[in-house]
Amino acid sequence: MTGQSSPNPPLERIGARTTLQKLLSRFHFGITLFAVALSGLTILLAGVTALRGYADRNMELAAQLGAYGVEPALVFNDAQAAREGLGPLTRIPGIARLRVLNDVGRPLTQWTSPKADPAPLLTRIFFPRPFAVTVQRNGSAIGTIEVWGDSSTLIDYVRIGLLAGLGCLLITAFGTIFLARRFEYELVKPLNEIATVAHDVRLHRRFDKRVQSLGIAELDRLGGDINALLDELQGWQGNMESERALLAHRASHDTLTAMPNRDAFDEQLALRIRSAEDRSGRFALLFIDADNFKAANDNFGHAAGDAVLVALSARIKDTLRKGDFAARIGGDEFIVIIDPLDGDVRAEDLANRIRASVVDPVLLPGGETYRAAVSVGVALFPDSGSDATALLTAADAAMYADKMTNRSR
Amino acid sequence: MPLKRSWGRCQVLASLFLIGTLVTTPQMAVQAASQTIVEDSSGGMTRAVNRMVGGIVSYARWPDAAPPTGRVMCLVGTPRLADRMAPDVPGPGSVAVRRIAAAAVNPDCDILFIGRMPVADRRQLIAWVRGRPVLTITDDDAACIYGAMFCLSNKTASLSFSVNIDAIGRGPLRVDPRVLRIGGGGGAS
Repeated sequence: MTGQSSPNPPLERIGARTTLQKLLSRFHFGITLFAVALSGLTILLAGVTALRGYADRNMELAAQLGAYGVEPALVFNDAQAAREGLGPLTRIPGIARLRVLNDVGRPLTQWTSPKADPAPLLTRIFFPRPFAVTVQRNGSAIGTIEVWGDSSTLIDYVRIGLLAGLGCLLITAFGTIFLARRFEYELVKPLNEIATVAHDVRLHRRFDKRVQSLGIAELDRLGGDINALLDELQGWQGNMESERALLAHRASHDTLTAMPNRDAFDEQLALRIRSAEDRSGRFALLFIDADNFKAANDNFGHAAGDAVLVALSARIKDTLRKGDFAARIGGDEFIVIIDPLDGDVRAEDLANRIRASVVDPVLLPGGETYRAAVSVGVALFPDSGSDATALLTAADAAMYADKMTNRSR
Repeated sequence: MPLKRSWGRCQVLASLFLIGTLVTTPQMAVQAASQTIVEDSSGGMTRAVNRMVGGIVSYARWPDAAPPTGRVMCLVGTPRLADRMAPDVPGPGSVAVRRIAAAAVNPDCDILFIGRMPVADRRQLIAWVRGRPVLTITDDDAACIYGAMFCLSNKTASLSFSVNIDAIGRGPLRVDPRVLRIGGGGGAS
Protein backbone atom coordinates (compact mmCIF):
# COMPACT_ATOMS: atom_id res chain seq x y z
CA MET A 1 0.00 0.00 0.00
CA THR A 2 2.61 2.53 0.99
CA GLY A 3 5.14 1.12 -1.47
CA GLN A 4 2.92 2.06 -4.37
CA SER A 5 2.02 5.54 -3.23
CA SER A 6 5.64 6.75 -3.17
CA PRO A 7 7.56 5.74 -6.34
CA ASN A 8 10.68 7.72 -5.38
CA PRO A 9 9.86 11.35 -4.65
CA PRO A 10 13.22 12.20 -3.00
CA LEU A 11 15.09 11.50 -6.26
CA GLU A 12 12.81 13.78 -8.21
CA ARG A 13 13.27 16.58 -5.74
CA ILE A 14 17.04 16.33 -5.94
CA GLY A 15 16.83 16.35 -9.75
CA ALA A 16 14.74 19.50 -9.77
CA ARG A 17 17.19 21.38 -7.59
CA THR A 18 20.28 23.20 -8.72
CA THR A 19 23.67 23.36 -7.08
CA LEU A 20 25.05 26.55 -5.60
CA GLN A 21 27.89 26.40 -8.07
CA LYS A 22 25.50 26.27 -11.01
CA LEU A 23 23.48 29.10 -9.58
CA LEU A 24 26.54 31.27 -9.06
CA SER A 25 27.81 30.37 -12.49
CA ARG A 26 24.55 31.38 -14.11
CA PHE A 27 24.43 34.58 -12.10
CA HIS A 28 28.00 35.49 -12.98
CA PHE A 29 27.47 34.75 -16.61
CA GLY A 30 24.44 36.99 -16.66
CA ILE A 31 26.25 39.86 -14.99
CA THR A 32 29.25 39.45 -17.26
CA LEU A 33 27.14 39.35 -20.37
CA PHE A 34 25.25 42.40 -19.25
CA ALA A 35 28.43 44.34 -18.42
CA VAL A 36 30.21 43.41 -21.61
CA ALA A 37 27.15 44.11 -23.72
CA LEU A 38 26.68 47.45 -22.02
CA SER A 39 30.29 48.53 -22.41
CA GLY A 40 30.42 47.15 -25.94
CA LEU A 41 27.31 49.05 -26.87
CA THR A 42 28.67 52.22 -25.31
CA ILE A 43 31.96 51.89 -27.14
CA LEU A 44 30.17 51.06 -30.37
CA LEU A 45 27.89 54.07 -30.05
CA ALA A 46 30.78 56.35 -29.11
CA GLY A 47 32.84 54.91 -31.96
CA VAL A 48 30.06 55.31 -34.47
CA THR A 49 29.46 58.89 -33.33
CA ALA A 50 33.15 59.72 -33.54
CA LEU A 51 33.40 57.91 -36.84
CA ARG A 52 30.48 59.78 -38.21
CA GLY A 53 32.16 63.02 -37.18
CA TYR A 54 35.36 61.99 -38.93
CA ALA A 55 33.52 60.80 -41.99
CA ASP A 56 31.60 64.06 -42.26
CA ARG A 57 34.79 66.03 -41.78
CA ASN A 58 36.54 63.91 -44.37
CA MET A 59 33.82 64.53 -46.91
CA GLU A 60 33.79 68.21 -46.07
CA LEU A 61 37.54 68.51 -46.50
CA ALA A 62 37.36 66.53 -49.72
CA ALA A 63 34.71 68.90 -50.95
CA GLN A 64 36.86 71.90 -49.93
CA LEU A 65 39.85 70.42 -51.73
CA GLY A 66 37.70 69.81 -54.76
CA ALA A 67 36.34 73.32 -54.63
CA TYR A 68 39.88 74.68 -54.60
CA GLY A 69 40.87 72.42 -57.46
CA VAL A 70 37.95 73.12 -59.76
CA GLU A 71 37.70 76.84 -59.06
CA PRO A 72 39.68 78.01 -62.15
CA ALA A 73 37.91 75.41 -64.28
CA LEU A 74 34.59 76.94 -63.26
CA VAL A 75 35.94 80.42 -63.98
CA PHE A 76 36.98 79.33 -67.45
CA ASN A 77 33.96 77.02 -67.86
CA ASP A 78 36.39 74.24 -68.75
CA ALA A 79 35.15 70.67 -68.30
CA GLN A 80 38.55 69.08 -68.96
CA ALA A 81 40.20 71.28 -66.34
CA ALA A 82 37.38 70.47 -63.92
CA ARG A 83 38.05 66.76 -64.37
CA GLU A 84 41.72 67.35 -63.70
CA GLY A 85 40.85 69.49 -60.69
CA LEU A 86 38.91 66.55 -59.30
CA GLY A 87 41.92 64.27 -59.83
CA PRO A 88 43.24 64.39 -56.23
CA LEU A 89 39.77 63.61 -54.90
CA THR A 90 39.36 60.47 -56.98
CA ARG A 91 42.31 58.98 -55.14
CA ILE A 92 40.75 59.55 -51.70
CA PRO A 93 39.12 56.34 -50.49
CA GLY A 94 35.54 56.61 -49.36
CA ILE A 95 34.26 58.85 -52.15
CA ALA A 96 31.60 57.30 -54.35
CA ARG A 97 30.69 60.14 -56.66
CA LEU A 98 31.69 63.72 -57.47
CA ARG A 99 29.82 66.36 -59.42
CA VAL A 100 30.71 69.94 -60.35
CA LEU A 101 27.85 72.30 -61.14
CA ASN A 102 28.34 75.73 -62.70
CA ASP A 103 26.75 78.96 -61.51
CA VAL A 104 23.42 78.14 -63.17
CA GLY A 105 23.35 74.62 -61.74
CA ARG A 106 24.29 72.77 -64.92
CA PRO A 107 26.78 69.92 -64.38
CA LEU A 108 30.23 70.76 -65.70
CA THR A 109 31.74 67.37 -64.99
CA GLN A 110 31.12 64.36 -62.80
CA TRP A 111 32.95 61.28 -61.69
CA THR A 112 31.75 57.99 -60.25
CA SER A 113 34.02 55.60 -58.39
CA PRO A 114 34.65 52.40 -60.35
CA LYS A 115 34.67 50.48 -57.09
CA ALA A 116 31.35 49.07 -55.91
CA ASP A 117 29.99 50.22 -52.57
CA PRO A 118 30.71 47.39 -50.09
CA ALA A 119 27.75 48.22 -47.84
CA PRO A 120 25.05 50.38 -49.40
CA LEU A 121 23.02 50.29 -46.19
CA LEU A 122 25.90 51.80 -44.20
CA THR A 123 26.32 54.44 -46.88
CA ARG A 124 22.66 55.33 -46.69
CA ILE A 125 22.90 55.71 -42.90
CA PHE A 126 26.13 57.69 -42.86
CA PHE A 127 25.85 59.73 -46.03
CA PRO A 128 22.19 60.21 -46.80
CA ARG A 129 22.97 63.41 -48.74
CA PRO A 130 25.98 64.57 -50.73
CA PHE A 131 28.23 67.20 -49.22
CA ALA A 132 27.89 70.33 -51.30
CA VAL A 133 30.38 73.17 -51.17
CA THR A 134 29.82 76.38 -53.04
CA VAL A 135 32.83 77.46 -55.08
CA GLN A 136 33.42 81.16 -54.73
CA ARG A 137 35.60 83.54 -56.61
CA ASN A 138 36.05 87.05 -55.24
CA GLY A 139 32.98 86.70 -53.08
CA SER A 140 30.54 85.49 -55.72
CA ALA A 141 29.37 81.94 -56.20
CA ILE A 142 30.60 80.50 -59.45
CA GLY A 143 29.53 76.91 -58.96
CA THR A 144 29.00 74.02 -56.61
CA ILE A 145 30.88 70.81 -55.96
CA GLU A 146 28.99 67.79 -54.56
CA VAL A 147 30.68 64.85 -52.90
CA TRP A 148 28.92 61.53 -52.18
CA GLY A 149 30.62 59.32 -49.59
CA ASP A 150 30.62 55.56 -49.58
CA SER A 151 31.20 52.95 -46.91
CA SER A 152 34.55 51.57 -48.14
CA THR A 153 36.52 53.21 -45.31
CA LEU A 154 33.74 52.76 -42.76
CA ILE A 155 33.49 49.08 -43.44
CA ASP A 156 37.14 48.63 -42.44
CA TYR A 157 36.52 50.44 -39.18
CA VAL A 158 33.36 48.50 -38.51
CA ARG A 159 35.12 45.23 -39.33
CA ILE A 160 38.09 46.01 -37.08
CA GLY A 161 35.74 47.37 -34.42
CA LEU A 162 33.60 44.25 -34.47
CA LEU A 163 36.65 41.99 -34.36
CA ALA A 164 38.15 43.97 -31.49
CA GLY A 165 34.80 43.92 -29.74
CA LEU A 166 34.56 40.18 -30.19
CA GLY A 167 38.09 39.77 -28.89
CA CYS A 168 37.29 41.93 -25.87
CA LEU A 169 34.15 39.92 -25.29
CA LEU A 170 36.11 36.68 -25.35
CA ILE A 171 38.84 37.98 -23.05
CA THR A 172 36.27 39.40 -20.66
CA ALA A 173 34.24 36.23 -20.75
CA PHE A 174 37.27 34.05 -19.99
CA GLY A 175 38.45 36.40 -17.29
CA THR A 176 35.07 36.48 -15.65
CA ILE A 177 34.65 32.74 -15.88
CA PHE A 178 38.01 32.35 -14.17
CA LEU A 179 37.10 34.84 -11.45
CA ALA A 180 33.66 33.28 -11.01
CA ARG A 181 35.26 29.87 -10.63
CA ARG A 182 37.56 31.23 -7.97
CA PHE A 183 34.69 32.90 -6.18
CA GLU A 184 32.61 29.75 -6.36
CA TYR A 185 35.51 27.72 -5.04
CA GLU A 186 36.06 30.13 -2.14
CA LEU A 187 32.38 30.03 -1.25
CA VAL A 188 31.54 26.42 -1.98
CA LYS A 189 34.56 24.94 -0.20
CA PRO A 190 33.59 26.13 3.32
CA LEU A 191 29.96 25.25 2.66
CA ASN A 192 31.02 21.78 1.68
CA GLU A 193 33.05 21.54 4.86
CA ILE A 194 29.99 22.37 6.93
CA ALA A 195 27.92 19.91 4.91
CA THR A 196 30.49 17.16 5.42
CA VAL A 197 30.45 17.63 9.16
CA ALA A 198 26.63 17.66 9.26
CA HIS A 199 26.51 14.56 7.09
CA ASP A 200 29.05 12.72 9.23
CA VAL A 201 27.13 13.55 12.37
CA ARG A 202 23.81 12.43 10.92
CA LEU A 203 25.03 9.26 9.24
CA HIS A 204 27.77 7.98 11.54
CA ARG A 205 26.68 9.58 14.82
CA ARG A 206 30.08 11.24 15.05
CA PHE A 207 29.05 13.80 17.64
CA ASP A 208 32.69 14.62 18.31
CA LYS A 209 33.12 16.16 14.84
CA ARG A 210 33.41 19.97 14.66
CA VAL A 211 33.48 22.55 11.87
CA GLN A 212 36.91 24.16 11.50
CA SER A 213 37.13 27.96 11.57
CA LEU A 214 36.23 29.37 8.12
CA GLY A 215 37.50 32.40 6.21
CA ILE A 216 34.07 33.88 5.43
CA ALA A 217 32.52 35.65 8.43
CA GLU A 218 28.91 34.60 7.83
CA LEU A 219 29.83 30.99 7.20
CA ASP A 220 32.16 31.01 10.19
CA ARG A 221 29.25 32.16 12.35
CA LEU A 222 27.10 29.39 10.90
CA GLY A 223 29.90 26.91 11.62
CA GLY A 224 30.15 28.24 15.20
CA ASP A 225 26.41 27.78 15.71
CA ILE A 226 26.57 24.29 14.32
CA ASN A 227 29.45 23.50 16.66
CA ALA A 228 27.45 24.80 19.63
CA LEU A 229 24.51 22.68 18.53
CA LEU A 230 26.78 19.67 18.26
CA ASP A 231 28.08 20.32 21.79
CA GLU A 232 24.51 20.15 23.07
CA LEU A 233 23.72 17.12 20.98
CA GLN A 234 26.80 15.37 22.28
CA GLY A 235 25.72 16.09 25.85
CA TRP A 236 22.24 14.75 25.22
CA GLN A 237 23.59 11.76 23.45
CA GLY A 238 25.86 10.89 26.42
CA ASN A 239 23.02 11.24 28.92
CA MET A 240 20.72 9.24 26.74
CA GLU A 241 23.17 6.41 26.34
CA SER A 242 23.85 6.04 30.07
CA GLU A 243 20.11 6.27 30.78
CA ARG A 244 19.40 3.63 28.21
CA ALA A 245 22.07 1.33 29.60
CA LEU A 246 20.55 1.78 33.05
CA LEU A 247 17.08 1.02 31.77
CA ALA A 248 18.29 -2.00 29.84
CA HIS A 249 20.00 -3.33 32.95
CA ARG A 250 16.93 -2.72 35.02
CA ALA A 251 14.75 -4.52 32.52
CA SER A 252 16.83 -7.63 32.50
CA HIS A 253 18.05 -7.79 36.12
CA ASP A 254 16.60 -8.35 39.50
CA THR A 255 17.07 -5.31 41.65
CA LEU A 256 17.64 -7.11 44.90
CA THR A 257 20.31 -9.62 43.94
CA ALA A 258 21.49 -7.90 40.72
CA MET A 259 21.10 -11.27 39.02
CA PRO A 260 19.49 -11.58 35.58
CA ASN A 261 15.70 -11.93 35.85
CA ARG A 262 13.23 -14.30 34.24
CA ASP A 263 13.13 -12.44 30.92
CA ALA A 264 16.91 -12.45 30.64
CA PHE A 265 16.95 -16.12 31.51
CA ASP A 266 14.41 -17.02 28.80
CA GLU A 267 16.49 -15.20 26.26
CA GLN A 268 19.68 -16.83 27.48
CA LEU A 269 18.17 -20.30 27.43
CA ALA A 270 17.00 -19.92 23.84
CA LEU A 271 20.54 -18.80 22.89
CA ARG A 272 22.18 -21.74 24.68
CA ILE A 273 19.81 -24.25 23.05
CA ARG A 274 20.57 -22.88 19.58
CA SER A 275 24.29 -22.83 20.27
CA ALA A 276 24.29 -26.39 21.68
CA GLU A 277 22.29 -27.66 18.70
CA ASP A 278 24.78 -26.07 16.33
CA ARG A 279 27.78 -27.76 17.88
CA SER A 280 25.88 -30.89 19.07
CA GLY A 281 26.95 -30.02 22.62
CA ARG A 282 25.35 -30.63 25.95
CA PHE A 283 24.48 -28.41 28.88
CA ALA A 284 22.74 -28.76 32.20
CA LEU A 285 19.85 -26.74 33.59
CA LEU A 286 19.64 -26.56 37.37
CA PHE A 287 16.41 -25.49 39.05
CA ILE A 288 17.13 -24.31 42.61
CA ASP A 289 14.46 -23.56 45.21
CA ALA A 290 15.13 -22.47 48.78
CA ASP A 291 13.59 -24.79 51.34
CA ASN A 292 11.34 -23.32 54.03
CA PHE A 293 12.04 -19.82 52.86
CA LYS A 294 8.53 -18.69 53.80
CA ALA A 295 9.18 -19.73 57.39
CA ALA A 296 12.43 -17.74 57.46
CA ASN A 297 10.59 -14.72 56.14
CA ASP A 298 7.88 -15.10 58.75
CA ASN A 299 10.26 -15.74 61.64
CA PHE A 300 12.92 -13.13 60.99
CA GLY A 301 11.15 -10.52 58.85
CA HIS A 302 11.39 -9.43 55.23
CA ALA A 303 14.76 -7.76 55.65
CA ALA A 304 16.18 -11.07 56.80
CA GLY A 305 14.45 -12.84 53.88
CA ASP A 306 16.11 -10.39 51.51
CA ALA A 307 19.48 -10.95 53.14
CA VAL A 308 19.05 -14.70 52.72
CA LEU A 309 18.22 -14.25 49.02
CA VAL A 310 21.25 -12.02 48.46
CA ALA A 311 23.49 -14.52 50.25
CA LEU A 312 22.08 -17.42 48.23
CA SER A 313 22.58 -15.63 44.97
CA ALA A 314 26.17 -14.75 45.89
CA ARG A 315 27.01 -18.34 46.81
CA ILE A 316 25.38 -19.75 43.68
CA LYS A 317 27.37 -17.29 41.59
CA ASP A 318 30.56 -18.39 43.36
CA THR A 319 30.10 -21.97 42.13
CA LEU A 320 29.85 -20.92 38.50
CA ARG A 321 32.55 -21.07 35.88
CA LYS A 322 33.15 -18.35 33.35
CA GLY A 323 30.64 -19.42 30.68
CA ASP A 324 27.89 -20.49 33.10
CA PHE A 325 24.76 -18.45 33.76
CA ALA A 326 22.61 -17.86 36.83
CA ALA A 327 19.27 -16.04 37.20
CA ARG A 328 16.62 -15.41 39.82
CA ILE A 329 13.31 -16.29 38.24
CA GLY A 330 10.96 -16.09 41.19
CA GLY A 331 10.78 -15.20 44.88
CA ASP A 332 13.11 -17.95 46.08
CA GLU A 333 13.73 -19.75 42.79
CA PHE A 334 17.06 -19.67 40.97
CA ILE A 335 18.18 -21.18 37.70
CA VAL A 336 21.71 -22.07 36.70
CA ILE A 337 22.91 -23.10 33.27
CA ILE A 338 26.11 -25.10 33.24
CA ASP A 339 27.41 -24.78 29.73
CA PRO A 340 29.43 -26.35 28.31
CA LEU A 341 29.02 -29.63 30.14
CA ASP A 342 31.87 -32.13 30.24
CA GLY A 343 30.89 -35.66 29.19
CA ASP A 344 31.73 -37.41 32.45
CA VAL A 345 29.91 -35.01 34.83
CA ARG A 346 26.88 -36.46 36.50
CA ALA A 347 23.74 -34.52 37.26
CA GLU A 348 23.87 -35.46 40.90
CA ASP A 349 27.37 -33.99 41.27
CA LEU A 350 26.15 -30.66 39.96
CA ALA A 351 23.22 -30.64 42.37
CA ASN A 352 25.48 -31.53 45.26
CA ARG A 353 27.89 -28.73 44.46
CA ILE A 354 25.03 -26.18 44.74
CA ARG A 355 23.75 -27.79 47.93
CA ALA A 356 27.23 -27.66 49.43
CA SER A 357 27.66 -23.98 48.57
CA VAL A 358 24.71 -22.94 50.72
CA VAL A 359 25.54 -25.05 53.75
CA ASP A 360 27.42 -22.29 55.63
CA PRO A 361 25.08 -20.28 57.89
CA VAL A 362 23.95 -16.86 56.69
CA LEU A 363 24.45 -13.88 59.00
CA LEU A 364 21.18 -11.96 59.23
CA PRO A 365 20.90 -8.18 59.81
CA GLY A 366 19.56 -8.80 63.34
CA GLY A 367 22.76 -10.64 64.31
CA GLU A 368 21.20 -14.09 64.11
CA THR A 369 22.39 -16.81 61.80
CA TYR A 370 20.28 -18.79 59.42
CA ARG A 371 21.08 -22.16 57.96
CA ALA A 372 19.64 -22.27 54.47
CA ALA A 373 18.86 -25.35 52.44
CA VAL A 374 17.93 -25.73 48.82
CA SER A 375 16.26 -28.29 46.59
CA VAL A 376 17.94 -28.74 43.22
CA GLY A 377 16.53 -30.30 40.08
CA VAL A 378 18.77 -31.02 37.10
CA ALA A 379 17.77 -31.36 33.48
CA LEU A 380 20.26 -32.16 30.72
CA PHE A 381 20.14 -31.01 27.16
CA PRO A 382 19.41 -32.82 24.97
CA ASP A 383 18.82 -35.88 27.25
CA SER A 384 15.93 -34.39 29.30
CA GLY A 385 14.42 -32.26 26.53
CA SER A 386 15.37 -30.41 23.41
CA ASP A 387 13.37 -27.20 23.97
CA ALA A 388 13.08 -24.63 26.74
CA THR A 389 9.71 -25.78 28.06
CA ALA A 390 10.65 -29.41 28.17
CA LEU A 391 13.92 -28.64 29.92
CA LEU A 392 12.25 -26.36 32.48
CA THR A 393 9.53 -28.87 33.12
CA ALA A 394 12.09 -31.65 33.58
CA ALA A 395 14.23 -29.52 35.89
CA ASP A 396 11.17 -28.36 37.85
CA ALA A 397 9.99 -31.97 38.24
CA ALA A 398 13.44 -33.05 39.36
CA MET A 399 13.58 -30.19 41.89
CA TYR A 400 10.15 -31.13 43.19
CA ALA A 401 11.24 -34.71 43.60
CA ASP A 402 14.32 -33.49 45.46
CA LYS A 403 12.16 -31.33 47.73
CA MET A 404 9.95 -34.33 48.52
CA THR A 405 13.04 -36.34 49.37
CA ASN A 406 14.32 -33.52 51.65
CA ARG A 407 11.00 -33.30 53.47
CA SER A 408 10.74 -37.01 54.03
CA ARG A 409 14.28 -37.05 55.29
CA MET B 1 41.05 57.35 -37.09
CA PRO B 2 42.03 55.68 -40.39
CA LEU B 3 39.82 58.17 -42.18
CA LYS B 4 41.65 61.12 -40.75
CA ARG B 5 45.00 59.61 -41.50
CA SER B 6 44.11 58.79 -45.07
CA TRP B 7 42.69 62.23 -45.46
CA GLY B 8 45.92 63.77 -44.24
CA ARG B 9 47.86 61.58 -46.62
CA CYS B 10 45.68 62.63 -49.50
CA GLN B 11 46.10 66.25 -48.66
CA VAL B 12 49.85 65.80 -48.70
CA LEU B 13 49.58 63.90 -51.96
CA ALA B 14 47.48 66.64 -53.48
CA SER B 15 49.97 69.30 -52.40
CA LEU B 16 52.84 67.25 -53.78
CA PHE B 17 50.91 66.82 -56.95
CA LEU B 18 50.41 70.55 -57.35
CA ILE B 19 54.05 71.27 -56.56
CA GLY B 20 55.07 68.55 -58.99
CA THR B 21 52.96 70.17 -61.66
CA LEU B 22 54.69 73.49 -61.11
CA VAL B 23 58.12 71.94 -61.22
CA THR B 24 57.51 69.90 -64.33
CA THR B 25 55.53 72.39 -66.39
CA PRO B 26 58.29 74.90 -67.32
CA GLN B 27 60.08 72.26 -69.37
CA MET B 28 57.26 72.44 -71.86
CA ALA B 29 57.16 76.16 -71.94
CA VAL B 30 54.16 76.62 -74.15
CA GLN B 31 51.15 74.42 -74.56
CA ALA B 32 47.56 74.99 -75.53
CA ALA B 33 45.16 73.16 -73.33
CA SER B 34 42.13 74.93 -72.04
CA GLN B 35 38.87 73.92 -73.70
CA THR B 36 36.29 76.48 -72.72
CA ILE B 37 32.84 75.65 -74.00
CA VAL B 38 31.47 78.48 -76.16
CA GLU B 39 27.75 79.06 -76.23
CA ASP B 40 26.32 78.50 -79.67
CA SER B 41 24.72 81.89 -80.13
CA SER B 42 25.48 85.34 -81.50
CA GLY B 43 28.02 87.02 -79.24
CA GLY B 44 28.83 83.71 -77.60
CA MET B 45 32.46 83.95 -78.56
CA THR B 46 32.74 87.55 -77.34
CA ARG B 47 31.26 86.56 -73.99
CA ALA B 48 33.59 83.58 -73.78
CA VAL B 49 36.65 85.72 -74.56
CA ASN B 50 35.68 88.36 -72.00
CA ARG B 51 35.05 85.70 -69.39
CA MET B 52 38.36 84.02 -70.09
CA VAL B 53 40.29 87.30 -69.99
CA GLY B 54 38.51 88.23 -66.77
CA GLY B 55 39.33 84.83 -65.29
CA ILE B 56 43.00 85.13 -66.23
CA VAL B 57 43.15 88.64 -64.76
CA SER B 58 41.54 87.43 -61.54
CA TYR B 59 44.25 84.80 -61.06
CA ALA B 60 47.11 87.21 -61.63
CA ARG B 61 48.94 88.85 -58.70
CA TRP B 62 50.67 92.15 -59.10
CA PRO B 63 53.64 92.96 -56.88
CA ASP B 64 51.72 95.85 -55.22
CA ALA B 65 49.25 93.23 -53.94
CA ALA B 66 46.23 95.32 -54.94
CA PRO B 67 43.23 93.32 -56.20
CA PRO B 68 42.86 92.64 -59.94
CA THR B 69 39.70 94.71 -60.14
CA GLY B 70 40.28 98.35 -60.88
CA ARG B 71 43.25 97.47 -63.08
CA VAL B 72 43.66 99.10 -66.43
CA MET B 73 43.71 96.98 -69.56
CA CYS B 74 45.33 98.60 -72.56
CA LEU B 75 44.02 97.20 -75.81
CA VAL B 76 46.52 97.40 -78.64
CA GLY B 77 45.84 96.28 -82.19
CA THR B 78 42.67 94.61 -83.36
CA PRO B 79 41.18 91.78 -81.30
CA ARG B 80 40.46 88.83 -83.56
CA LEU B 81 38.00 86.87 -81.39
CA ALA B 82 35.90 89.52 -79.68
CA ASP B 83 34.04 92.48 -81.11
CA ARG B 84 33.96 94.30 -77.81
CA MET B 85 36.50 93.86 -75.06
CA ALA B 86 35.06 94.07 -71.53
CA PRO B 87 36.75 91.49 -69.27
CA ASP B 88 34.24 89.67 -67.10
CA VAL B 89 36.04 89.40 -63.79
CA PRO B 90 34.28 87.03 -61.34
CA GLY B 91 32.75 88.89 -58.42
CA PRO B 92 32.22 92.59 -58.02
CA GLY B 93 34.36 95.17 -59.74
CA SER B 94 35.64 95.34 -63.28
CA VAL B 95 38.64 96.18 -65.37
CA ALA B 96 38.91 99.48 -67.22
CA VAL B 97 39.67 99.07 -70.91
CA ARG B 98 41.64 101.67 -72.92
CA ARG B 99 42.25 101.36 -76.59
CA ILE B 100 45.71 102.81 -77.36
CA ALA B 101 48.27 102.74 -80.11
CA ALA B 102 51.34 100.56 -79.80
CA ALA B 103 53.56 103.56 -79.45
CA ALA B 104 51.38 105.08 -76.71
CA VAL B 105 51.87 102.24 -74.27
CA ASN B 106 52.62 103.62 -70.79
CA PRO B 107 53.12 102.45 -67.18
CA ASP B 108 49.42 102.94 -66.41
CA CYS B 109 48.76 99.78 -68.31
CA ASP B 110 48.48 96.82 -65.89
CA ILE B 111 47.22 94.49 -68.57
CA LEU B 112 48.17 94.53 -72.22
CA PHE B 113 45.78 92.90 -74.66
CA ILE B 114 47.65 92.42 -77.91
CA GLY B 115 45.35 92.06 -80.92
CA ARG B 116 46.35 91.74 -84.54
CA MET B 117 49.21 94.16 -85.33
CA PRO B 118 52.41 94.32 -87.23
CA VAL B 119 55.12 91.97 -86.03
CA ALA B 120 57.53 94.80 -85.30
CA ASP B 121 55.01 96.54 -83.03
CA ARG B 122 54.37 93.35 -81.20
CA ARG B 123 58.06 92.70 -80.67
CA GLN B 124 58.46 96.27 -79.38
CA LEU B 125 55.60 95.85 -76.94
CA ILE B 126 56.95 92.53 -75.64
CA ALA B 127 60.35 94.14 -75.15
CA TRP B 128 58.73 97.03 -73.27
CA VAL B 129 56.88 94.67 -70.96
CA ARG B 130 60.02 92.80 -69.93
CA GLY B 131 60.69 93.42 -66.26
CA ARG B 132 57.46 95.33 -65.68
CA PRO B 133 54.46 94.08 -63.71
CA VAL B 134 52.24 93.84 -66.79
CA LEU B 135 50.04 90.93 -67.78
CA THR B 136 50.14 90.26 -71.49
CA ILE B 137 47.32 88.47 -73.33
CA THR B 138 47.09 87.94 -77.06
CA ASP B 139 44.52 86.37 -79.34
CA ASP B 140 46.73 86.38 -82.42
CA ASP B 141 49.35 83.79 -81.47
CA ALA B 142 47.79 80.31 -81.33
CA ALA B 143 51.17 78.64 -80.78
CA CYS B 144 52.02 81.17 -78.06
CA ILE B 145 55.61 81.63 -79.17
CA TYR B 146 55.91 85.41 -79.54
CA GLY B 147 56.34 86.28 -75.89
CA ALA B 148 52.83 87.01 -74.61
CA MET B 149 52.05 85.35 -71.28
CA PHE B 150 48.56 84.09 -72.19
CA CYS B 151 47.49 83.25 -75.72
CA LEU B 152 43.81 82.76 -76.61
CA SER B 153 42.87 80.56 -79.53
CA ASN B 154 39.63 79.27 -80.89
CA LYS B 155 39.01 75.82 -82.22
CA THR B 156 35.76 74.45 -83.50
CA ALA B 157 33.08 75.74 -81.10
CA SER B 158 35.53 76.15 -78.26
CA LEU B 159 37.93 78.68 -76.91
CA SER B 160 41.18 77.82 -75.18
CA PHE B 161 44.22 79.51 -73.78
CA SER B 162 47.86 78.57 -73.51
CA VAL B 163 50.45 79.74 -71.08
CA ASN B 164 53.97 80.85 -71.90
CA ILE B 165 55.72 79.94 -68.72
CA ASP B 166 58.98 81.58 -69.81
CA ALA B 167 57.24 84.90 -70.34
CA ILE B 168 55.60 84.69 -66.92
CA GLY B 169 58.85 83.60 -65.32
CA ARG B 170 60.70 86.65 -66.64
CA GLY B 171 58.31 89.19 -65.12
CA PRO B 172 57.56 90.11 -61.52
CA LEU B 173 53.92 89.15 -62.01
CA ARG B 174 52.65 85.99 -60.29
CA VAL B 175 49.97 83.72 -61.63
CA ASP B 176 47.94 81.13 -59.67
CA PRO B 177 49.47 77.69 -60.36
CA ARG B 178 46.03 76.20 -60.99
CA VAL B 179 45.68 78.46 -63.99
CA LEU B 180 49.17 77.57 -65.16
CA ARG B 181 48.14 73.93 -64.94
CA ILE B 182 45.03 74.49 -67.01
CA GLY B 183 46.99 76.50 -69.54
CA GLY B 184 49.74 73.92 -69.46
CA GLY B 185 47.36 71.31 -70.81
CA GLY B 186 47.37 69.04 -67.80
CA GLY B 187 50.09 66.99 -69.45
CA ALA B 188 51.87 66.77 -66.13
CA SER B 189 48.99 65.03 -64.45
